[in-house]
Amino acid sequence: MCQLFSSTCIILLGGFLSLFFARQKKFSKGIAVLFLSGGCLLGLIDAAGKLLDPAGAGASASFRYLDLFSLSFHVDGLAAFFLTAIFAVSLMAAIYSFHYMGNEENGIKTGVNYFFFSVLIAAMALVVTAANILTFMISWEIMSLSSFFLVIYSHESAENRKAGYLYFVFSHVGAMFILAAFGLIYGHTGNFDFASLADVPETVKILIFVFSFIGFGSKAGVFPFHVWLPHAHPAAPSHISAVMSGVMIKTGIYGILRIYAILDFHTPVFGYITLIAGVISGILGVVYALGQHDIKRLLAYHSVENIGIILIGLGVGMIGAATGNPLVAVLGFAGGILHVLNHSVFKSLLFMGAGMVLHQTGTRSIDALGGLLKGMKITGTTFIMGSLAICGLPPFNGFVSEFFIYMGSFKTIALGSSISFSMSVFAIISLAVIGGLALACFTKVVGVVFQGEPRTLAAENVKEKGWAMMVPMGLLAAACVIIGVFPKMFIHMALKAVQALGLDYGRVPVEPFGQISCNITFAALLFLVMALIIMGIRSTCYKNKTDKNTTSGTWGCGFSQPTVKMQYTGSSYAGSILAFFSAAAPLSEDHPPIKGRFPLKTHYHSHVNDIAELYMKNVVVRPVFYLFDKLRWMQHGDIHLYIGYILLAIVLLLFFI
Amino acid sequence: MMFNPVDIILSFVLLSVLFSFGADRVLTLIKLVGFQGVVVSIIPFFIGDHMSTGGTVFTLATLVIRGVIIPLSIFVAIRKGAIRRVVEPIVGYHASILCGLAVIIGTTYLSGRLDIGSVSGFKLLEPTAIALLATGMFLLMARRNAIAMVIGYIMMENGIYLVGSGLSVSTRHIVEFGILLDVLAGVMIMMIMAVILRNIKQTFDDVDTALLRTLKD
Repeated sequence: MCQLFSSTCIILLGGFLSLFFARQKKFSKGIAVLFLSGGCLLGLIDAAGKLLDPAGAGASASFRYLDLFSLSFHVDGLAAFFLTAIFAVSLMAAIYSFHYMGNEENGIKTGVNYFFFSVLIAAMALVVTAANILTFMISWEIMSLSSFFLVIYSHESAENRKAGYLYFVFSHVGAMFILAAFGLIYGHTGNFDFASLADVPETVKILIFVFSFIGFGSKAGVFPFHVWLPHAHPAAPSHISAVMSGVMIKTGIYGILRIYAILDFHTPVFGYITLIAGVISGILGVVYALGQHDIKRLLAYHSVENIGIILIGLGVGMIGAATGNPLVAVLGFAGGILHVLNHSVFKSLLFMGAGMVLHQTGTRSIDALGGLLKGMKITGTTFIMGSLAICGLPPFNGFVSEFFIYMGSFKTIALGSSISFSMSVFAIISLAVIGGLALACFTKVVGVVFQGEPRTLAAENVKEKGWAMMVPMGLLAAACVIIGVFPKMFIHMALKAVQALGLDYGRVPVEPFGQISCNITFAALLFLVMALIIMGIRSTCYKNKTDKNTTSGTWGCGFSQPTVKMQYTGSSYAGSILAFFSAAAPLSEDHPPIKGRFPLKTHYHSHVNDIAELYMKNVVVRPVFYLFDKLRWMQHGDIHLYIGYILLAIVLLLFFI
Repeated sequence: MMFNPVDIILSFVLLSVLFSFGADRVLTLIKLVGFQGVVVSIIPFFIGDHMSTGGTVFTLATLVIRGVIIPLSIFVAIRKGAIRRVVEPIVGYHASILCGLAVIIGTTYLSGRLDIGSVSGFKLLEPTAIALLATGMFLLMARRNAIAMVIGYIMMENGIYLVGSGLSVSTRHIVEFGILLDVLAGVMIMMIMAVILRNIKQTFDDVDTALLRTLKD
C-alpha cells in the first residue's frame, strides 16, 4: 500500500511542480513527464508484482478524515489488475506527451494540462482501490472533474467547449445514478463499507445493480449512454484521449464488476442485462465508427464497441456463475477482464498514432489524408498492428481475450437452458459481426489514411518526428504482440482478478487455462512463422524481377493521368455497409444533383446520425428545455427579489428542522 | 419588575431597528449600524460569567471593527465615491415602519417559541437578535441603493453575533471573529474601489442595484 501511495504522491508532485514552473515551458514539461512517468513506473511495478505474486494481493489502509468518516483503501486482485492497466497506459501517455505538447503553446496552459493529468491518474488509482462508498465517490468525482478540464484543454474552439459541457452533464447524471445505488446500499446496511450485502432483499439487489449499471455504463460508454464519448475524445489532446479511452472509461467496467462482487447475488438476469447491453454497444459502436470522417471520433466509437465486447464477456461470466458452471464463469470473466487490459493497450496505441497524424498534418479528417505510410514508417506500422489487434486477429492480443469470450459462449450453449442457449448464440453471432465490421472499419482507416496517395496538401511530404512519441507507440505495439503470442502470464493476472470477485468456487482451476494459453502460443508462433516464410518466398521469387526504376502512383493501374480524386474515399468505402445498417444508423447526405450541360460546382457531405444522440435530443433534452423555458420568468434579474427567494427558501427549510 | 443592564441596552437596539426602517438617508443608517455594532459588542461583558483574557481581547477588537472601522469605511466610501445619499426605497417609508413594527412583534412571538438554548434571564436577547436579522434582510430587499444594501448585510451580521453571544459555545469567539473579518474585508474592498479606483461610479454610473437587471442574459 505504501508503494502505491508514494507513486500517487510522486505523480501529484509532478503535476504541482509543472504548474509551479509553468513559465519555464521546457523545464515544466520535462519535470512533469519525469515525475509522472517515474510515479507510474513505480505503481506499475507494485501492481504487477502483486498480481504475479502467488501468495496473492491484499493490502489495506485506512485514514480517519476530520473524525467524520474514514477514507479506506484496499488492493485485491481486481484492483491490482486495473492498476496495472492504469499505470501502464499513463506511463506511455506521459512519455508521449513530452513531444506531443508543443513548445509554442502557452506555458500556463501546458502546466495546467499536466496538473490535471496527474490528478486524473491519481484519481483513477484511488477509484479502483477505494474500499468504502465515500472514498469511492470522492475519487470518482475528482476523476470526472479532472478529465473534464482535460477535455476543454483547447477551450478556444466552441465545439470543444460544447463537448466538455456534454461530458460534464453525462458524468454527473451517471454519478447521480451511482449515488442512488450507493444510497440504497447504505439504506439497507447502515454503513459505508463495501461489505457483503447478504441481508439485502433480492429486489433491492436488482435495483442496485441496474442503477449502478446505468451510472457506470455512462462512464464506460455503454449504448445509449455513450453520447458524450465521440465528442469528448476528439476534443482532448491525443495522449489524454489515449488515457481516457484506454483506461478511464474502464473504471466504469471496474465499478460494474465491484458492485457485482459485493452484491454476491448470482442471478442470470444480471448476465442477460450485461450481455444484451454489450451486444448492442458492440454492434452499434462499430457501425457508427464506420461512418465517421474524423479519425479520433472513429476511434472513440471503437471504444464503445470494445466496451461492448468486454460486457459480452462479463455477461457470459455472470450467466455461468448463476447457472453454477465455474468454467464458463471464469472464461467469461477472464476474457472480459483481459480485454480491458488488451483494449487499453491497443486503443492507446491507436490514439497515439492518430495523435501523430494530427500533430504532423494538422487535420483529423480521414478523407483529407492519404499515403502517410511513406513518410511515417513507425507510426504507420504500429497503427496497422494496433488495427489488427483491435479486430481480434491472431497473433495479436485482441484475439486472446476474444477467444476466451468465444469459448465461454460456446460452453454456455451446452448448459441446457433455452434462454442461455439463445443468449450465447446471440453473443457468438454478434461477436463475429463485430469482428468483421471492425476489420472493415480498420481497412478503411489504414487504406485511406496510410495508403494510397495524399488527397490534400496537408498530407503531402509528411514526416514523423519526436522520439518521445515513437517510443511509446513501439512499446505498445510490442505489448500487443507479446500478449498475443505469450498470453500465459497475462491470463494468470486476469485469473487473479477473477478470484477477487469471490465467485464461491474456491481456487479457480488454472490448469485448463494453462493448456489454452499454450495452444494459443503454439498457434500464434505457427502463424508468425508462416507469415515470415511467405514473406521470404515472396522476396526470393521477385528478386530481380521488378524493374526498380519504374515508379507510379498507388492504385494507378497503369492509367497515365491518375488523380488523387480517383481513389476510394472513406465515405464511399463504408457506404455499402452503412446502407445495410441504415435503420440503426440513418445517413443524412447533402449532395446537390448535377443538372444540365454545364453543371454548377457540387459537393457531397454525409453524416451518420447516432440514434441514441438523436432520441436523447428529441425525447429528453427538448422537453426539459421546454419546461425550463417556461420557468424563465423566475430569472428576472431583480436582485432584491432574488434575496427574497433566499429568504423564502430558508423559511421553508426551517419547517423541516 | 426586574430590569437588568442587558435588557435596557437591547431595548435601545430595538428602537434603533425601528428607526432604521424609517431612515431615508444612508448617513443615518451608518450611524445606526455603528451604534448597533458598539452595543452588540459589549453585550458579552454583561452576560458571560467571566471573560478570559483572550475573550476580552477578541471582544474589544470586535467593538473597534464593528463600531468604528466599518461605519467609517462606508462613510469614506460614500464621501469619496460621490454616491447618492438617499436610500431609494422600493417599499415606502410609512409602509417600512409598519413592517418594522410587524417584525418586532413577530420576532417577540417567535423567540418565545424557539428553543435556542441561550442564557436565560434576558428577555430581549433573542427578539433583538432575530429582529436585527430580519431588518438586515428587509434592507437588502427593499432598498435600491447599494450602500444601503451593504448596511443591511452588516446589520444581519450584527444579529448573527448577538445570537452567538447568547450561546455558550467554547470556540464561538474565533468563529465570530472570522466572519467579522470577512465582512471587514468586503467593506474595505468596497472603500478602496470607491476611493482609489472610483470604479463603482465609473462602471455603473450609478449604484442603483435595480440596474443589475441589465446583466441578465
